[in-house]
Amino acid sequence: MSDAIITAALQYRVGRSFEISHLDLRVPTGAIYGFLGANGSGKTTTIRLLLGLLRARAGTITLLGQPMPARAPEILARVGYVPEQPHLDGTLTVQELLQFQAAFYPGWDWSLAESLLGQFDLDRHRLFGKQSKGQKAKTMMLLALAQRPELLVLDEPTDGLDPVARRDILSALLEFVAQGDATVFISTHLVHELERICDWIGVMDNGHLLVQEPLLQLKRGVKRLQLSGLPAGATPPAPATLLSREVSAPGMETWTVRAWEPPMTGSIAALGATVLMETDLDLEDGFIALLRAFRIGQTR
Amino acid sequence: MFSQIDARSATPLYDQIAARLRIAIAAGELVAGEGLPSVRQLASQLRINPATVAQAYRDLEADGFVEMRQGAGTFVSDVAQEGRQQERRRHAVHLVRKMVAEAGRLRISPEELRAAFTEVLGSRSK
Repeated sequence: MSDAIITAALQYRVGRSFEISHLDLRVPTGAIYGFLGANGSGKTTTIRLLLGLLRARAGTITLLGQPMPARAPEILARVGYVPEQPHLDGTLTVQELLQFQAAFYPGWDWSLAESLLGQFDLDRHRLFGKQSKGQKAKTMMLLALAQRPELLVLDEPTDGLDPVARRDILSALLEFVAQGDATVFISTHLVHELERICDWIGVMDNGHLLVQEPLLQLKRGVKRLQLSGLPAGATPPAPATLLSREVSAPGMETWTVRAWEPPMTGSIAALGATVLMETDLDLEDGFIALLRAFRIGQTR
Repeated sequence: MFSQIDARSATPLYDQIAARLRIAIAAGELVAGEGLPSVRQLASQLRINPATVAQAYRDLEADGFVEMRQGAGTFVSDVAQEGRQQERRRHAVHLVRKMVAEAGRLRISPEELRAAFTEVLGSRSK
């Protein structure tokens, strides 16, 4: 399987501190890739680099098999982008926006645009500037989907929307994905939404990519373990890593681990210790544990 | 049918969907020849990745619970009575295992659990 997005050793900075340092992203074709991170972690900057809106200091970007920004016009004709903030001319009506957008994209699909207008319950004669927040988000999503993009880049597409608008937008997105093998790169801090739809997860913090792997692999490996009879200073067997450790009494510890595999319980037993309880963490708890571990590691 | 689907669970969503459909077929809630929603419909309805639904359907096909007909959709297979009974037994054991594990965490003894089971089931059959 080829990759829709590849970045190699990508760097970007403003002033003295790095905003993005040594970023190696890999988004497989056909994946729904959830790009997770707190506000200010570098998600939007990364997206702007990918789309050629910012210029990297070093490193390379390959989108849909071609180099960015060298081949920007050809690539961007095949990419749909929904930015975080409404970016369209508020004095145009929805119909005018559609006509304007259609002119730029060879793959534009009027019948999909018409059906989404109905599905989203949008008034084509309304000015973009007079639309509600939810209607604006739907209009932007409609414009991106009707391009029939091979790669869809969504920056916080449902942030701050009411549940109904959010649901409509996600349903339309998934329906689109089911029709072909488009790749979706979706940045958000709304972890629960990702847990339903993504098959790949990348976690950003402070300009670093902490994790990049299939969602199921990430979730399978993140556990909270209650242990007893543990020798002082024991650590989990590789490749598992310790995200946090709480010591409640000598030998009694609670670990949060990553990349845990069931046979490792045997290695714990070999230390003379027992796993009293093993709890699965959901994506949000796992995400928080990862960020904490990374931040503590940085301040040390 | 899929109200119990929980994305936060450690059980992958495709396993949850396949398990739910398997028990629906075993219980006769879905009958042989009945069409399942298309991958696209179900993904959109549950707001999950279409690849997840496709994986669930493929697993069900491998187990002989559904047939995927190219271009026509996915249909419930004619599962023999024995296969359906086996699936129900499997699911019943799964439910009891979950309950026993939860009781263990709460330090409820097997005797207490058995007594509670009899009490609840007894009142049900009346």
